[in-house]
Amino acid sequence: MATEAKASGTKRSKRFEFYDTQRQLALDGFAKEWVDVGLVAMESPNDPKPSIKIVDGVVVEMDGKERKDFDIIDRFIADYSIDQRISEKAMAVDSVEFARWLVDINVPRKKICEYTVGMTPAKLNEVFAQMDVLEMTMAGHKMRARRTPSIQAHITNRKDDPLQLACDAASAGLYGFSEMETTVGVGRYAPDNALGLMIGSQVGRAGILSQCAVEEATELLLGMRGLTAYAETVSNYGVERIFLDGDDTPWSKAFLGSCYASRGLKMRFTSGTGAEVLMGEAEHKSMLYLEIRCILMTRGSGVQGIQNGGISCVCIPGCVPGGFRAIMAENLCVMMNDLEVVSGNDYQVSNSDIRRTARLMPQLLSGTDFIFSGFGFIPAYDNMFTASSFNGEDLDDYTVICRDLRIDGGVQPVNEEEFITIRRKAGKAIQAVCDELGLPPISDEAVEQCVYAFGSKDTAPRDSKDNLKASEIILKEKINGVDLIKALAKRGFTDVAENVLNMMKAHVSGDYLQTSAIFDEDFNPLTAVNDANDYQGPGTGYRAIGERWEQIQDIRQALSSADLA
Amino acid sequence: MATTQELAVTLKETGTAKQGEKANEVVIGVAPGYGKLLNKSIKGVPHAVLLRELVAGLEEEGVPYRVIRVLHTSDLGVIGQTAARYAGSGYGIGILSKGTCIIHNKDLAPLDNLELYSISPLLSVENYRQIGRNAARYAKGDTPVPVQQPYDGEAIGATYMARAAVMHLTETAECKDGAAPLELEVTFQ
Repeated sequence: MATEAKASGTKRSKRFEFYDTQRQLALDGFAKEWVDVGLVAMESPNDPKPSIKIVDGVVVEMDGKERKDFDIIDRFIADYSIDQRISEKAMAVDSVEFARWLVDINVPRKKICEYTVGMTPAKLNEVFAQMDVLEMTMAGHKMRARRTPSIQAHITNRKDDPLQLACDAASAGLYGFSEMETTVGVGRYAPDNALGLMIGSQVGRAGILSQCAVEEATELLLGMRGLTAYAETVSNYGVERIFLDGDDTPWSKAFLGSCYASRGLKMRFTSGTGAEVLMGEAEHKSMLYLEIRCILMTRGSGVQGIQNGGISCVCIPGCVPGGFRAIMAENLCVMMNDLEVVSGNDYQVSNSDIRRTARLMPQLLSGTDFIFSGFGFIPAYDNMFTASSFNGEDLDDYTVICRDLRIDGGVQPVNEEEFITIRRKAGKAIQAVCDELGLPPISDEAVEQCVYAFGSKDTAPRDSKDNLKASEIILKEKINGVDLIKALAKRGFTDVAENVLNMMKAHVSGDYLQTSAIFDEDFNPLTAVNDANDYQGPGTGYRAIGERWEQIQDIRQALSSADLA
Repeated sequence: MATTQELAVTLKETGTAKQGEKANEVVIGVAPGYGKLLNKSIKGVPHAVLLRELVAGLEEEGVPYRVIRVLHTSDLGVIGQTAARYAGSGYGIGILSKGTCIIHNKDLAPLDNLELYSISPLLSVENYRQIGRNAARYAKGDTPVPVQQPYDGEAIGATYMARAAVMHLTETAECKDGAAPLELEVTFQ
């Protein structure tokens, strides 16, 4: 909070008074480093020193701890994550030297990954301690798994109104979001929200992946029924006690990951610096050290990717010194482990527009698999995760700064007429589906109102009893993706029906289980396998060029001489 | 009547919590540090006030209730479900020292809920009265409309999260592994 006003009688500097009362920054909370409880972003004196000892194929000592003293996280990492074929060699590389390999455009990504998988958490922790944020960003340019960067959107609203979810998902599709995430204000509305997002996303563009972030068992059920396309919020924690508070162990989380795989559903884990200390127990370690444990557990589980970068705990690294640097380090650590990184920028780290833009810059400049793990497409007030770091109000700015920097940030400018048209199509599609499936009806007036709405303050009322009723029907009658296909086809939305059908087929083909998988508009998978990042300096790698650059720069605000005639 | 700022409460521990038997009884489970070392919410509202509002909501709906202190965890989901398991109706309320609140049921998954108020600084004093009423309504077999928290796009974490961390670290330090919940005798002053 802003510094308390001094006792009356003390004359204040007008400058400091201004800072303390007139700036957005005045509302932000900060903390001094508190090493003992783990309120420190990186390089805690309590972080262990790297070491490993392998005897007869068993890790008997790791980072200063003997096997008999391993907690469940140490045990999982030692037995499943450490690649013993390279471990001795990798641990012997000087950490400064390895940090230089990371920054060096001439050291290929493949070599970095080869060595990384033999390293312990403390070793990786030591490597990042050698790097400043620019070096980490430069490394990220080379280390992300998929060549083409992309972006994920939050699609939620305060009414849990499936009509608005559908319209927003469709119109977000025009901007280029390749993944979309919804959640609920009320847990029981999950099925109805998932349905709205699935319909809307497939109106927006064929192949957009949709998820509904709720309790684990419910989320798996929705995926199995084809009401969602992937899952993300399967959480890992870097402290044993906190993991258990999450009602899981690394093994049960790995099992949950395999459940998704067995049904052909894409999934990733979620972790992020700051979670452990926010949840009450950091074992005196730095935030980054604990996050590295999560990343190694994820790879050991066989899961293809991670959402990290503070995530909903981002204000914890954000309130201590060097927090934004630590956040880029954790994103980079995921990339080095040859996993998909969905790099945060999904929770409001600051009241200050300047600070939250600074927080974005490393991931934007580096490019990641998903620069935002949740760009709030809707207005901030409609975000049921609470405001993202960038919200609907900021989308125009974001498209423009990508043009300014000549960076592909995953989005392109959109024509207003097309925007309106696609929202109307989505509204009619969900109206038709609800009618076919016997869900509470959506009126023509509500559709038309939603077409022009910015957020739920502009839409028709939605009775929350209808949300509950719809969700209950969806569950009771086991409504699944095939029912959506039939309903859409029957009511003339043939193209949307085909898109949902192709999404269901994806569960069988398995293509989108590969690392960093998204679909293009023809349902061709774009993954780390067929779109591998080959950046190694100027003249190589992904660049904003050609048709894509034409698209990015074509903002409606730009004048030409023809406009002035 | 004591104003919001003046209200205090004594939470006297009177022994191990008992299993409730009345079919419409709701149990409120408070976190290990509630009303002790920590006695105000993240917004500075006295714990007495929040508890009074929950209780008032339950009383308005005419259901019997008890208050227990959960000791073995600071996790809100587990606290809420522990309270629900001790309640005759199977419905419980959980509340942390920050003010974070939940309505739970004994048959749900531990990290599931009926109503979850996960952002403590967004809760108004009136919200707690509504939460109390809703918990009572569930216990009576009704389907109340879930309480809506006011939110208008504020960067709420940026303002409060550091404080939440410090409060929750303090609360978690009060946990006693394996300890059974304690029955509380509640006296408002």
